[in-house]
Amino acid sequence: MSVSAIDLEIIRHRLETINVDAGETLVRVSGSQIASEAGDYNTALMTAEGAVVACSKSVVVQSTSLDLIVSDILARYRDNPGINEGDQFLTNDPYIGALHQPDVTIVAPIFVDGRLIAWSGCTVHEADVGGPVGGGFNQAARSIFDEPLPIAPIRLVEGGRVRADIERDILARSRTPELNALDLLGQVAANQAAAARVAELAEHYGADTVVQAMAQLVDSTEAAFRRRLAALPDGCWRDIAYLQHERREGDDYTLNAIYAVRLTMTKRGERLILDFSESDAQAPGAINSAYPALANFTMAALLVHLCYGMPWVPGAIWRAIELRSKPGTIIHAEWPAGVAMSTGTSAQAIRNVVTACIARMLDASEEGARFAMASSQSTGAGGMSISGFDADERPFHTLFLDELTGGSGASGGSDGADVAGTATSPGALPSNVETNEAAFPVLYLARRELVDGAGPGRQRGGAGTIWSYRSHRTAHPIALSSMTQGLQHPATLGILGGEPGSASGIAVADGEVTDWAAVEAAAGNAPLPLPGKGMKVRLGQTMIASSQGGGGLGDPIERDPALVLADVENGLVSEEGARRDYAVVVANDAVDPGATEALRRARRRERLGGREPAARDRLRAGRRLSTHLDAENGQVVCAGCGHAVCAEGAPILASLPCIEAPAGERFTLTARYPGSERFRIRHFHCPGCGTQIDVQVAIAGEPVLETTALLVPEGAAHG
Amino acid sequence: MSKSAVPAPGAPPFLIGTDIGGTFTDTVVVAADGATFAGKALTTHGALMEGVLASIGRAAEAMGLSRGEVLKQAALLSHGTTVGLNALLTDSGAKVGLLTTMGFESTLPIARSNKLHGLSDDEITNALKWRKPKLLVPRRRIVGIRERIDARGQIVTPLDEAQARDAIRRLVADRAEALAVALLWSPVNPMHEQRLAELACEEAPGIPVTLSSVIAPKIGEYERTATAVLNAYVAPLAADYLSRLEAAIRAEGFAGQFLVMAMGGGVGRAEAMARTPVHLLQSGPVGGITAARELGQRLGHPDVIATDVGGTSFDVGLVVNGELPRANRPRIDRHALAVPVIDIASIGTGGGSIASVDAVLGTLKVGPESAGSMPGPACYGRGGMRPTLTDAAVVLGYVERLGSAIALDREAARRVVGALADQLGLSVEAAAQGIVDVACAQMADLIRRTTVQRGHDPRRFALYGYGGAAPQYVGRYAADLGVRETVIPHLGPEFSAWGAVCSDLTVLRERDLPPQLFKLPLDAFVETLGELEQSARAEFDDSDGRPTMARRVGLRFLRQIHRIDVPIPPGPLTDAVIAEAEAEFRRRYETIVGRGASGSAGLVEIVSVAAEARVAARNQAQATQPAMQSAQPLRQRRAWFEGEARDVPVYAIETLGAGQIVPGPAFVESEQTTVVVHPGMQIELAAGGDLIMMPMPAGEVVPLRAGGRA
Repeated sequence: MSVSAIDLEIIRHRLETINVDAGETLVRVSGSQIASEAGDYNTALMTAEGAVVACSKSVVVQSTSLDLIVSDILARYRDNPGINEGDQFLTNDPYIGALHQPDVTIVAPIFVDGRLIAWSGCTVHEADVGGPVGGGFNQAARSIFDEPLPIAPIRLVEGGRVRADIERDILARSRTPELNALDLLGQVAANQAAAARVAELAEHYGADTVVQAMAQLVDSTEAAFRRRLAALPDGCWRDIAYLQHERREGDDYTLNAIYAVRLTMTKRGERLILDFSESDAQAPGAINSAYPALANFTMAALLVHLCYGMPWVPGAIWRAIELRSKPGTIIHAEWPAGVAMSTGTSAQAIRNVVTACIARMLDASEEGARFAMASSQSTGAGGMSISGFDADERPFHTLFLDELTGGSGASGGSDGADVAGTATSPGALPSNVETNEAAFPVLYLARRELVDGAGPGRQRGGAGTIWSYRSHRTAHPIALSSMTQGLQHPATLGILGGEPGSASGIAVADGEVTDWAAVEAAAGNAPLPLPGKGMKVRLGQTMIASSQGGGGLGDPIERDPALVLADVENGLVSEEGARRDYAVVVANDAVDPGATEALRRARRRERLGGREPAARDRLRAGRRLSTHLDAENGQVVCAGCGHAVCAEGAPILASLPCIEAPAGERFTLTARYPGSERFRIRHFHCPGCGTQIDVQVAIAGEPVLETTALLVPEGAAHG
Repeated sequence: MSKSAVPAPGAPPFLIGTDIGGTFTDTVVVAADGATFAGKALTTHGALMEGVLASIGRAAEAMGLSRGEVLKQAALLSHGTTVGLNALLTDSGAKVGLLTTMGFESTLPIARSNKLHGLSDDEITNALKWRKPKLLVPRRRIVGIRERIDARGQIVTPLDEAQARDAIRRLVADRAEALAVALLWSPVNPMHEQRLAELACEEAPGIPVTLSSVIAPKIGEYERTATAVLNAYVAPLAADYLSRLEAAIRAEGFAGQFLVMAMGGGVGRAEAMARTPVHLLQSGPVGGITAARELGQRLGHPDVIATDVGGTSFDVGLVVNGELPRANRPRIDRHALAVPVIDIASIGTGGGSIASVDAVLGTLKVGPESAGSMPGPACYGRGGMRPTLTDAAVVLGYVERLGSAIALDREAARRVVGALADQLGLSVEAAAQGIVDVACAQMADLIRRTTVQRGHDPRRFALYGYGGAAPQYVGRYAADLGVRETVIPHLGPEFSAWGAVCSDLTVLRERDLPPQLFKLPLDAFVETLGELEQSARAEFDDSDGRPTMARRVGLRFLRQIHRIDVPIPPGPLTDAVIAEAEAEFRRRYETIVGRGASGSAGLVEIVSVAAEARVAARNQAQATQPAMQSAQPLRQRRAWFEGEARDVPVYAIETLGAGQIVPGPAFVESEQTTVVVHPGMQIELAAGGDLIMMPMPAGEVVPLRAGGRA
């Protein structure tokens, strides 16, 4: 039996509607700041086996692999406690399916005439789920036993009724039981609404038709995804992202250690393999991801960057890809490793490497190049939970999402959006300053776009922000628990010769400060402390932080000077920034075309060690490898000037002239953080015309990472 | 219809409603005996006033009078305009300068990082489309002012007047034509904003200034700032338009009240609305739903689902127990708004929606692409080459002509739908049926979203269908939803214009205050409420009549974001009043959440107060249709229902009498549209000229409505 093209469209539309409505029900009922105003939630509908067929677009990463939770329940609970109509199961176990403990998921089986035909599920980030530290992010954690202890799937709702004893037990763990109670109510209502609507649909069309329609949605999307893969060149792409972790407590303390997340992505025909198994061993602290976070962030990045113009059906994509990882690594940690800070740390690194490899794969195809997108800001760029006492001496714990103000990555077709948050949580929003000030004893001093924060490129990344606040109407210090990564080096990399966006920044400074220059001046020659346990804003101090700019795409000195001028007029790029980053000379509110031309030529000469750059007048020929390179007559040549780089199949980047700069090259604050001296920014250029072909962040002294190795198609003519 | 258009001496004069739509500008004139006369003219984009005057002229023609004669004898002209929205959509608003708190200059461009809201479903899955709403003030004309007020309204940093004067001069030098002022915490303490207005007056005499604490005293700086900027952006154009239109009608002898429709419902005096034009950005849909409420009162429907099927969109609004619910997070053209807006949901499904085969799923898709009105559907014969919903309706034999004049090209429709049918391996008629099914399912899904998801059962509502294309489809989506009674209003094609006439003269004053537990003392709230009531009442003078006052409090559970507005009685705020308001809050909360939910949900806090002054719209007499039972079909038309072709009777609406019941399948044609009565349904002409559709009773055709019995 096959569902007709008409019925399938009607059922598909209804399922999408049901899922979006479930999300709105959740928000309306919960009303909590994190769900309602910050949008830190997501909903999904799944097949009877748990394959996700509809997911809402808020925090996509929260629901793309709810199948892990559903399969766990199906595998273990069929007989005891049973899976029945009206039941709902809650879990926040990152080793089973949650991203980290604060993300509480509730899934519900949907029955029609006693037959299990589907599941619904939703996730909300809760303000506090217990454990030793308010908000759940314990910098001092050695293992998950120093974090909120996760709840394995538990039957919270039985036959439509919330189990009061279980609800009570769950709430008893939390420092914010009233808020969590509202969130639970919202989630239960969302699942009930979804179940009722799906049942109505099944009543109208018959359960078989609905089940079959979901199967067809998965099949058709899988086929389309495979067609998309097949149309792209075969190849192998690599990327690395770095994390830092420090724990100063205990005999087994770790000082400023570096962890690498390494991805090798191979595409052959209509198959895609994402292999993370060379990533570093897990850390003795909270920054690890367990497998569910790896699966979720990988899938969310695939949806955002590779599934444009098709329905987002994770259940379909899973069938066409293979995810490889090694247990015991930082992105596939083994129990009882700490994982509460995964979403702001290792999980962002996962997204960044997937984003970069997909961008390079798309850029190898002329049709795909437009969709190639550089990295957007990472969350965790200052992301923090804060706690203390308010003006009435009541304790408070909350999550400030000011960090969701970084830039989007540039794409082949356009600049990155300014202050747009992270790509895989597109619906998550920072709260108004007034919302935060109404509820908590803080006074913001600034929240503004960061000048020169956008990653320069032919298309630039989006700008990030800088913000600061002090305590207000309380004498108590405010405790901060920050997940900040990307302090010691930029973490939002550019692509295809684009520069990284500005790195993160966070500091507690004396007095009232609203810019980094003041912080750097006040610090003198002293380094800025890395955030850790015990970070506090005391009376008379300011917390200041900045979110990352988005990565740029393409060589910045090829950017249209008129666009650079517009950015200068808008205060997003300074005049020095225009000169330094884009080789554009702005004087008297206008571009000086002669000086710009001369500066750009001089910049190419510098890149070539003083040689004159070759003319970029070649017509593209041979086989496209990327925006910058073609394969012609067995050689890799510059697409612009035709200069031969190396033999086809030989390492490309290692054959290019490279200029190595310190990690604080553009964003000087970076150099203030201890450990930044270990990192370099490597710029690779065409030896003929000096065009910037790639930019990498690397550990000093480590070999060059060959990011692209296109497979020579069978039967391709050589010579 | 009665032709006694000229009011007798001393009789109540004419009431005129006019509404500007995307394609047509409509006028409805209500005469003393309740007879209504419609006039339709093309909307004259770029010179909206011409279309307005032309449509009034057409209505006058229908009455056998001149425009001047009608205007002279009119008590009021109530107007829904799109002048503000047009300014927004065509980037032709004022050059605005924005003064904001220093350090927060980026509030508007940051736009709370929103890159998704307002995008279509297709755009949301394409990361390249994730963009911010258009920035209405370039960053160089946003200036931070040194000042700071905290959440309690206390001054942390005094206003630096010298720097502020400098900033104002700089903006004017940069050719700012209007100023918006949006400072942190101004709803709680507007002193600094007010002082900036004075300084602007001194430094730049005559420049229009919008204060966020006046236009939208709501906590949440982004939405408030965006609203102030929008107001400043559209104010000069809107003011100019309203004063020119007023001058034009006054010149023709109009001596009545000139009123303008607001997005939040109700009408306001034009001279007042000219200062707050953000309220009239998109009043057409509100006119429609106001008309639905009025008609609902006449027909005994307190709960109405009001649906408007146009050429490019489908709008749904609700009337719940006679009230028009407001949107929670209103946006217009992707810009957030912090002013009251009647909640109307919209999707891009309409007669012009293009049908295609989805490249990924192989399903039959309808929209969101639209053929618009140019070239329009293939059957319009203006070069449209892709199949649209209207083409499908033509193939099925549901419509033959557009309005009264234009015959539709059935062959062209068959050609384009046929090409799609080939792709799907279906017959032309089956493909056409599929297009109608998919489109109606989308409409039904949107109705589900606005009802079921908000705790309402659509089967309890009457469903009204208006707008050009509704009569063809409303029966389908009504049946899909299980709605019993469907109404196709007699004034459907001019519903928004009529809604303007039915709108109460309304002044609403709202203000947010920092949240406080909802128990006495609530001095700040009581004081603010008093101020708001006084200010609302002051907008009325003796000629308007005595306004009815209403007050509301915004309540929510502790630290929730969403609030629910609850009415409170006049008089002092006592413990008993608070207890009753809290109980009402919990009742309304449970409507959304489910019974018993509010018990576990803790303490209630108050976050806002509102005062509304209202003078009810003038009573209209109601014309009635003569009762007749004898109408016979004009002819038979071949049409497809449920997969088979049949000969279907076609009735002319003029020949139907009140109470006559026509069983489906049938068509009822009027000058402007064709009503499709599906098999299993029947339709009856109500006394007021509206058509009422219901499922046919099993077995035989029996009139169900009292009064319909022969």
